[in-house]
Formats: sequence, structure tokens, C-alpha cells
Amino acid sequence: MSDNDRTQQELSRRDFLSTTATAAGALVIGFWMPARAQGQTVNPDGAAWSNESAADEVNAWVVVAPDDTVTVRIAQTELGQGVWTSNAMIVADELQCDWSKVRPQYASANRDAREMAPKWTLNVMGKGATDPSGGGEPEFGTRDRTGVTGIPDSLYRRMRTNAAASVKDGRYYLQLAGAEARERLLLAAAKTWAVPVDEVSSANSIITHRPTGRTVTYGKVASLAAQTPHPNPERIRIKPPSEWTLMGTEQKNLDVPLKVSGKTVYGIDVKLPGMKWAAVKSCPVYGGKVKSYDFERIRKQPGVISAVEFPIPDPSLIRGRTFGGGVAVIADSWYQAKTAIDQMPIEWDVPPQYAALNTAAIRAKLIAALGEPGNVHVNLGDCNDAFSGAAKIVDATYSVPYLPRARMEPGNATVLVTDDRVDIWIGDQSPQETRYSASRITGIPETNVYVHLCHLGGGYGRNGNGPQAEQAIYIANKNRGTPIHLLWTREEDFINTTYRSIGVARLRAALDNDGWPIAIEVRTATDAEAPGATAGFDVAPRYFAPNYRFSIHSARFHIPVGTRRGVGAPAQHFYRESFMDELAHATGKDPYLYRRELIARTNLPYKADMIKALDMAAEMSGWGTPLRQGTARAIALEERGAEDGHHATISAQVHTVSISKQGEVRLLRVDVAHDEGFGLVNPLTVKKQIEGQIVWFYNDVMYQECNVTEGRIAENNFDTFQLSRIKEDPPQINIAFFKTGHWLDGMGHDRGTSIQSGIADAVFQITGKRYRDLPLRNHDLTWS
Amino acid sequence: MAMDLTVNGVRHSVDVTPDTPLLWVIRDHLGLTGTKFSCGIAQCGACTLHIDGKPVRSCSVPVSAAVGKTVTTIEGLSADVTHPVQLAWIELDVPQCGYCQSGMIMNVVALLNRRPNPTDAEIDAQITNACRCSTYHRIRQAIRLAASRISTGGRTL
Repeated sequence: MSDNDRTQQELSRRDFLSTTATAAGALVIGFWMPARAQGQTVNPDGAAWSNESAADEVNAWVVVAPDDTVTVRIAQTELGQGVWTSNAMIVADELQCDWSKVRPQYASANRDAREMAPKWTLNVMGKGATDPSGGGEPEFGTRDRTGVTGIPDSLYRRMRTNAAASVKDGRYYLQLAGAEARERLLLAAAKTWAVPVDEVSSANSIITHRPTGRTVTYGKVASLAAQTPHPNPERIRIKPPSEWTLMGTEQKNLDVPLKVSGKTVYGIDVKLPGMKWAAVKSCPVYGGKVKSYDFERIRKQPGVISAVEFPIPDPSLIRGRTFGGGVAVIADSWYQAKTAIDQMPIEWDVPPQYAALNTAAIRAKLIAALGEPGNVHVNLGDCNDAFSGAAKIVDATYSVPYLPRARMEPGNATVLVTDDRVDIWIGDQSPQETRYSASRITGIPETNVYVHLCHLGGGYGRNGNGPQAEQAIYIANKNRGTPIHLLWTREEDFINTTYRSIGVARLRAALDNDGWPIAIEVRTATDAEAPGATAGFDVAPRYFAPNYRFSIHSARFHIPVGTRRGVGAPAQHFYRESFMDELAHATGKDPYLYRRELIARTNLPYKADMIKALDMAAEMSGWGTPLRQGTARAIALEERGAEDGHHATISAQVHTVSISKQGEVRLLRVDVAHDEGFGLVNPLTVKKQIEGQIVWFYNDVMYQECNVTEGRIAENNFDTFQLSRIKEDPPQINIAFFKTGHWLDGMGHDRGTSIQSGIADAVFQITGKRYRDLPLRNHDLTWS
Repeated sequence: MAMDLTVNGVRHSVDVTPDTPLLWVIRDHLGLTGTKFSCGIAQCGACTLHIDGKPVRSCSVPVSAAVGKTVTTIEGLSADVTHPVQLAWIELDVPQCGYCQSGMIMNVVALLNRRPNPTDAEIDAQITNACRCSTYHRIRQAIRLAASRISTGGRTL
């Protein structure tokens, strides 16, 4: 028996179904308890995982075991967004299998380098974002061999986990994969019985020959199905939402039993025979590198083995971002490595032009940029003319700070490089790019690179993963034959992440005698490399003004900027919705009805959905009913994609906020009206995302900021970078969904952004003070 | 230096310096990786485990402080994921990324052991672990559910 076989058997024994009576006795909870190792564990030889084999699969996404267990390969990374469950639901609904026997497993990024995708996955069927029976209009729908501007033709197509696109982009081919497998299982059963295939059908993993009533389960015909090609895969159709049976129902996340028992394998938990640990220090000023270090001073410390200096990671491998060079100390255990490197003298070679830079200088440069011509994205009508004839002008300048994602799991990766092969164990949102990095750094072809995906302890923006893989691959390549587990301290994680760019915006409105805008001018300024700079303002105003101008002004700084939860939307929604509140107050109008009227005046394709969201949220919240002194309500619109008739996600939230005279803010209640498009795959996951994002953005508005001091980020752990706790969670969150006539533009991303304007406006309503720069903890919120 | 520990009912002897944080002994030497490292400065609570039934942030407790005492980690909470807090967490589908949940659950178990039916104010004061996915809404509901099961079902923790 090989080691592989032995491991497989052990795994099976540990894989059990636990059915437990609760203490009350009335309710029985049954859940699948995945083996710790399922699709995640390293085999004893440190090589292939259990999921690299193509043997006996019906297709690359579906394996049916003789006992009817269905393994569904997941090409996205589970980081709390529920993709292991929602992607499995998409496949399983079409497969018409027994959901209780579905087991998710990570897809092989190595097979993805060796095999091409089946032809039937390559083109999106249907008529775009507003066709319920089609595949929608994926964000990365165009085909691109490199996967940079579109989606590659490799086996698992898009393996990235970003842009709130896991369901939006993968749904059509995951549905096709489930349907293709089902039809081949039916063909196999028909062949076994020697009957025409149109006389057989299936449900819940049972195939029935309708004329005779004979049945067989999927597991019994799966190996025949694996050898039965689909004669006409181009003709496969996918179920529209009206035919969904599993999708659209609330399903608990399949990996929760692991997560409540400490058994989930995150990257940090990987341990290999002979593995050594690396602690690193990177130059805290981006673009800087090591000038010197004195390993002799720590050489004799317990467990210490060696030191490896690493250069500035190649920016072309990490989306153009420049981090710092650094040095790693390798030891038997991580704590030994960390203790030693803390005591090792290191001198940095800091680029002189960054050495004195601080937040005030960066913000001043952005404010100055607002006065420059900028890049005009939208210019409708004639703003200058309108402003000269205005009855009233409202002019406000807002500002938001640099923000990291600060996921709970610090960056890490385990890498083993041998002469002809690289193995990487990592929680990674871009395994295809990491595969490429490994090949570039080691010179070993991508077909010999194995990226073994682990769950991630938080995501919140793919770019923020930083150069965890690239540093680890570099260090392991200098120690070929020894598995190296690199782990950042929390402080290193703050250095080696990208930041949501600092931003400023000046919004001006020219109002007529009745208080309605005749012109709105929006100027925003961020780092020139910041993604999402057009969010919320592009193409046309969400709130009508006959004259509208939107320009982006920018400057370039050395802090690496990237995608953080919501990308551009959180800052831009804060500017836009705060400004709408200011206009309403300035003209004595109700902020809800003011917004409603201005949306109604637009020609935006989804304006009815936006009005519906506002109306529902207002009604749910009891908008207009009296509140106690010191309590206020604020409403805001959240939209992604409202401007152009493609995918969109639209919601509105009302926030009920109290502020004590001592300035203590309490978010009491949030009422959420949320677009479900043609249908949500797993509404439970969506609710959980909304609940979480409410507190996420509460953090942003109240506490979080990172400042630049002497060229480096000043806040680098949770003592100075504050996180909300349970006491700040609103006691009441009400979520209601409404159907619309488009596919959603993703979830897990930019909902809850309106908490920012909501709390800022409640502060204004209660204290009379208008603060336009975040976070609010920097301000006096007391009142009398 | 040999340190004798009892973790989840099993006695171990590990050779580490006495100031090594308990967290790293648990994770690296004993291979119990359910207890997580996140901040290293006792701020976030991801590393929470019990020493003699009391919750501690093990990243900032030296292993020497646990010698001769009883250490319980998430792996020792139940053999088969049947602790009432674990069941409540499953029933309400609490975790998102899950990274903080071992520490969160251990802190909640310690609270319920001391206060079987805690008030909201007691929950706010004691449950100071950070969850970056902000699963707090379901955490509070799950604490309530577990507390009601414990009080009506008579199951002791």
C-alpha cells in the first residue's frame, strides 16, 4: 500500500456524517463533517493532493463515487464569502443530485496549466444581463489566453477570487458542467438498460426509467458515464431561475463544522515533513531595500539556521505594485525565527524622496490636484453657465484615509522547490498568477508548479494579499529541497499589503429657486494607480442634474494601492450620499424624498429599481415617525452598475443612530432593501455578507485610518488600527429582497457603504456639526 | 528546557524556553492548529484558549504560566462537534472566513460557564474578540441560542 493510498483510507474513515440531537431534543441537526484533509491536506510525500487526479471523474468539476458521494471541484478560494457552498450549489442544482452528499474540493491549478477547458464552457450563452435564461454578462467574459483582461481557456477558466465575480462570472459554465455531467449519467443509465435516453430522468441522484419504473443511483453508473462522451455538448441548456430547485434556497455553508472545531486548514496551518519556518522583515518604506544586516549576531540563537536577503519583489508579478526588499531568517520553529530576526541589526536603504513624506503632504498634494484640469470623464450640458445662474451654491470637500484590509490571517505561504517541481500551499486569490510567479522565479515550467489552495482567513480585496507567495518562492528557491513556511507578523502584514488609496473630493451643486440641482460638478482625487476611480459617478449622475461634470484628478505616491472591499465605491458613495444629505438639508427637503425625486428625473436604466429600494428601506424603517432626542435616521442608495444597463446590484439602507451628549455613537438599527436580480444562488450567504459589511463600514466611518510618517505606514497592529467589536453591532438588522429584471453585479463587496454617510449625517442632525473627513473618531461628537 | 503541560487531557513534555508563548507551543510543538495567530499582542483574541477554565490570549502568555495547569483548546471542546456552543454556531451558520472563530468560541464557552444566561451588557463586556468579517450579529444570536439550550436542556458545558 502506498503512502497515498493509506492517506486516502484514513481520510475516508475520518469523513463521517454526524447526526446530533440537540439538548431540547426536538430538532435534529444533521451535518456533514468533512475530514480535515478533504481536498486540503498534504499527502505524506509532500506532493500531489488528493484532487489532482482525473481518474473516474464525469467531467473536470464532477466526481461521483460508488456510494453516491458527489465531489464538486471549486476553482475559487473560500475566504468567508461562502463560495465553496454557492459554487457547489450551482453545479448540484443542474446535476440534480442529493445535496447532502455533495463535497466541495479545490480544483487543481496544476491541471489548469496542463489541460484546456472543454469547448462547451468557452462562450456565454444568452442575451446578456437582462436575459433570465442565459449566462448573464460576466465581468471577465471576454476570452484572453493570459487571463489578464479576460478569462483564459485553461481547464478551470477563471480561478481568481475577486471583483465579487465568483458567482456572476462562473455561473454559466458551472451550470453547464452540472448539466453535462447529468446528461452523461443519464446516457450511461440508458445504455445499461438498453433504452432510449429520453425515457430516463433523474432527481436527487436517482435515475428512473419512466416506462418501467426501474431506478439506479448516480454512483452505480458514474464510471460508465466517465467513459461516455456527450454526443452534442453544444446543445446543453442551463436552467433559468424559474427551474432552480437548490439555487435560491438558503443553504448553510458546508465548511462550518470544520470552522467551529478548529479543523479548517488555512495556509498558516500547513506543516510538512522537514519543514522550516521563515520570519521576515521588509523595508517599511516601499521601494526601499536592505543595506546591510548582521546575521552573525543571531546565528547561535536556538533553532536558527540561516538568513536570506530578498530583493524588491518583481512588480510585474504583483500587478505592478512596488513593495520593499527584505531579509528572512530561517529557523526550526517560527517563534525562534521571529525572536532572532527581531534582534538582528538591519539597516535599510530608503529612497530619499520618500523618507520625509507624511499624510499631510500627500493630502495637500491631492487637494491641490483638485484645482488642476484633471481627466474629464463626463461632461453633460454646461456646468459653468449653470453655476453663474444659480440661486444657491453648495460646495463641500470630503476626504478619506488610506485603509488596509487587515485580514485576520497574516500573510503566509509554504513552498517546496526541487530541481524540477514547485509545490506551494497557500490561501491565494490568484493561483494562476502565483503559478506564473513560481515559474518566473524558479525557472521551472508552469506545468510543474502545484498550487495547493487552502482556505483564507479573510479576503476583502485580492490585491491586498501582497507578495506573500513571491517572497516565499524566492526564499524556498534558495533552499531547494527544504519546505519553507514563510509567515508574516501582523506588523509585516501591514507593510506587505496594498491600501485603499487616500482620497479627496470636491462636490459642488448649483440649485434653482426650489432647491433642485441645475448643475452638479464632481472632482475626485486619489493615487493615479487606484482602481475603481469612476465608481458611482461615471456615465451619468445617479441624482439628476441637467448639467453634470465628473473629473478625476490624481497624483502618484509610493504607497502601493489596490483593491480593498468595494474598491472605489466606499469612498465615492460616502462623497455622493453625504452631498445629497447636505443638499436636502440646505434646501429644507426630506433626504429620502429628495433622492427619490432626483432619481425619478433621470433616464438611468434601473431607476425603477433604485426607487423601489429607497421606498422599501424607508417603509421598513418607519421613516418619518418620531424619534427620541439624540436619535436620527439617515437613508442612502448603494448601487453598482446602475449607469449602463449591464449587470447591477442595487440596494438602499436606512440607519437609525443615537449619539449621547458625551459623543458616544450607537448604530441602533439598519433596514436594508436589496436587489436579488433574477435570483440569488444562496440567499443565506448574501444576508451574512450584508450583516458583516454593515460593521465593516461602521469601522471605516468611525475608526479606521492609516497614516504615513517618514514614508512608512504608522499604524501596524490592532492596538493603533482599531477594529469594531460585538458591542458595536447594531441590535437590529432587517434585510428584505426584491426581484428585478437583471442579473446581479455580485455580492460580498460594496454593500453597507452607506453606513458612512448615514452616521456622518446623523452626527449632523443630532449635533449640528458636519464632518467631511473620515474617520469620525478624530472629531468632537458631543452636543448639548 | 522541559515544560510539562496537560492539554485537552493529554500530558506532554516539550523542550522550549520558558518564555515561549503558549500559542506557539500549542501550534508548533503539539500540532494543535485550531488556535490561531493574528496580532501577537493580545489585542484580537484569535489565540484564545483556556487555562484552568479561564480564557487567556495565548500569544501573550508564556508557556511557563501553563505548567501544572489544565489547558483546553478548541480541539478539546468536544470530540464530535457536539458542544452546545458549536451546535449553535452551526445552526445559525455563524462563521464566514472562520479564522477568529476558535478563539471566539472559547471565549464564549468561558463566559457561559461563568454566566449561563448572560445579559447583552455582559456579552458586550466579555466578548471582546475581533472578527474582521464582522459576524457579530449571528454570534450574539448563537450565544442566546446556546444559553437557552443549556438552561432548558440541562446539558452542562
